[in-house]
Amino acid sequence: MARQRAAFAHPTRRLLILIPGSYAFTWGFIALGVTGLVSLGVDFHEAETAMMLLAFLVFPSLFLWAFASPRPGRAMALLFGGAAFMVSAAWAIQRGLLV
Amino acid sequence: MSAHFRNTMTWLHTWMGLALGFVLMVCFFFGALSVFDREIDRWAIPQTRFEPQPLPSFDRLLLPVLQRVEPDQHDYAANMPRLHDPTKGPMTPRLELPVDEYWMYTTHRDPVLAMGVGFLVPLPKDPDAHNHIHARTTVDPRSGAVVPDDALKIGSHWFYPMHYSLNWRWRDIGIWIVGLAGFTMLVSLVSGVIMHRRIFREFFTFRPDKHVKRSALDLHNLTGVVALPFHFFFAFTGLLIFASYFYFPVSHTLLEPLHRQHEVLEAQAAGLPHKRSGIPAPLASVDAMVAEAKRRWAARDMAGEVGFLKIHHVGDANSFVSIYRAGSDRVALVGEGIHFKAATGEVLREDPPRSAVSEINEFLTGLHLQHFEHWLLRWLYVLGGLLGCVCIATGFIFFVEKRKAVHAKAGGQGSRVVDSLAVTTVTGMVIAAVGMLVVNRVLPADMAGKGDWEKLAFWGIWVLAMLHAFVRSGPLARGGINPAWREQCWALAMLCFAAVVLNALTTGDHLLKTVFSDPYWPVAGVDLSLLATAGIAVWAARKLALRERGAVKTIPSEVTTRAAEAANV
Repeated sequence: MARQRAAFAHPTRRLLILIPGSYAFTWGFIALGVTGLVSLGVDFHEAETAMMLLAFLVFPSLFLWAFASPRPGRAMALLFGGAAFMVSAAWAIQRGLLV
Repeated sequence: MSAHFRNTMTWLHTWMGLALGFVLMVCFFFGALSVFDREIDRWAIPQTRFEPQPLPSFDRLLLPVLQRVEPDQHDYAANMPRLHDPTKGPMTPRLELPVDEYWMYTTHRDPVLAMGVGFLVPLPKDPDAHNHIHARTTVDPRSGAVVPDDALKIGSHWFYPMHYSLNWRWRDIGIWIVGLAGFTMLVSLVSGVIMHRRIFREFFTFRPDKHVKRSALDLHNLTGVVALPFHFFFAFTGLLIFASYFYFPVSHTLLEPLHRQHEVLEAQAAGLPHKRSGIPAPLASVDAMVAEAKRRWAARDMAGEVGFLKIHHVGDANSFVSIYRAGSDRVALVGEGIHFKAATGEVLREDPPRSAVSEINEFLTGLHLQHFEHWLLRWLYVLGGLLGCVCIATGFIFFVEKRKAVHAKAGGQGSRVVDSLAVTTVTGMVIAAVGMLVVNRVLPADMAGKGDWEKLAFWGIWVLAMLHAFVRSGPLARGGINPAWREQCWALAMLCFAAVVLNALTTGDHLLKTVFSDPYWPVAGVDLSLLATAGIAVWAARKLALRERGAVKTIPSEVTTRAAEAANV
């Protein structure tokens, strides 16, 4: 654990992991948001537009939070784990929506 | 706020700002120039120096031009192999590709019309995909004469795409790099605000008489804070514009099945056919459709001109013509689309008013793309863009000033490299842009491949400026000033002056004519801006010469610690 933390402590390394991590989380957020909204009856393009508007507020905020987090391992797990969960959920909802 | 938090924000701001700041200089500078991209086009292509015209007859003037357009050779070579399915038959020759769509685009600032054609790939791998080979053309609306492709539109087809793609389109990598830079801008703005304790005071703090490090930081803070909403807004909306297609193409990957399903449903609901029927049909009078569209807009109390026109499924019974209103009198770009059945001219659909979400998106992207007619606001945009450039450039200068003495003592080359790159992306970049305009005036107008030579000149001049910056950077290793700053300022002044003189000599449109006797503001504006740039460059060169002469005495060493770094801001 201590070795992990030390490896992750260097800011450049954190940057190189957390930018993709925040990007992945935002991707999942968009996908889940679009499919969720469409399943509630919102038009697809409206849902997509709404999620894109939120995406570039979420993405840098998430990155800044994760970068400054005193527990970088937890931040990384949340980002990548959250991304995987949201992408899977979006995929499942899409399957239910396709005719 | 904890010291740890502020220190991490400082690290992010410094290092992400430095690494992507070089890209951001390009985005802000060429973005500022893009406000007047069409005016720069007029300067670069003298045969287009006339006033914007009313839309000519589509049936009599524009359709014949479109029917003569051929598929672009580069697009065919690059994309036909990717789209064509060889198992279905041989690849259709370029000149035999059937036409699928026509489009036409115009703005209130453009005397010439941009038009294009989409050609079908007859035997595609994926029949449901957008299988088009494209072609573009530019015409003089007074006569239908085509402006040759060789005449590069330096403003709208070089400077403008430079700011969002670095003109590096291999796998769209330039767009991705700019995206990362835009993300960095947002991160730097937020971290910059967090780092600063007395942000309100910074609106009013500029001490030019202090040491360079202090005055550079003051100017960096001032320009960052004064135009903070502008900088944040432009980075945010810039990313938003490309979000759904490039940066987060979720609808074209993970959610593509749902997206396609929706497109079909949307087409059915709108009554606009999604696919060709295979039954040929003629094209009714498009001029009559344009007249009807204008009548309907006027009836809705929003009389206007056509901004964009598109004919889908050309030559087919399912063909329809979409006519959109130009948004020169408001923020959103084009809208109020009216769609006509191409064979008969009957109205199929009038687009309903946009939803709240769409309106917000159109408003935000429209503010960035500023197609509206409001000259004061456009000049304020230029000012904002240039303030962004000053913010980034002073960031580089502060970075170097803070470290060069330490690096000099330790024998490190870091400040020298950063300073040389700063020269390259500040003065070097402007020299490349102006140098391109000079080359544009020197090369004959009817030269084959003139545009390609101009692009080569742009890159070549920039590389030379970079080499010059590195070769002259020796004094930095001793904690001094790079003379390349001063030398490039002089070079820039001479190039600006040369561009104005060459324009007068090669076209006869000198300033006395374009300002007084036969006013033509697009060209006068570019000439005056070049002269203003020359003036500023000369002033800067002389200031730098004084500073270099005064900087002979040794600079005391400084040792910075993390606490001192935080305290400096």
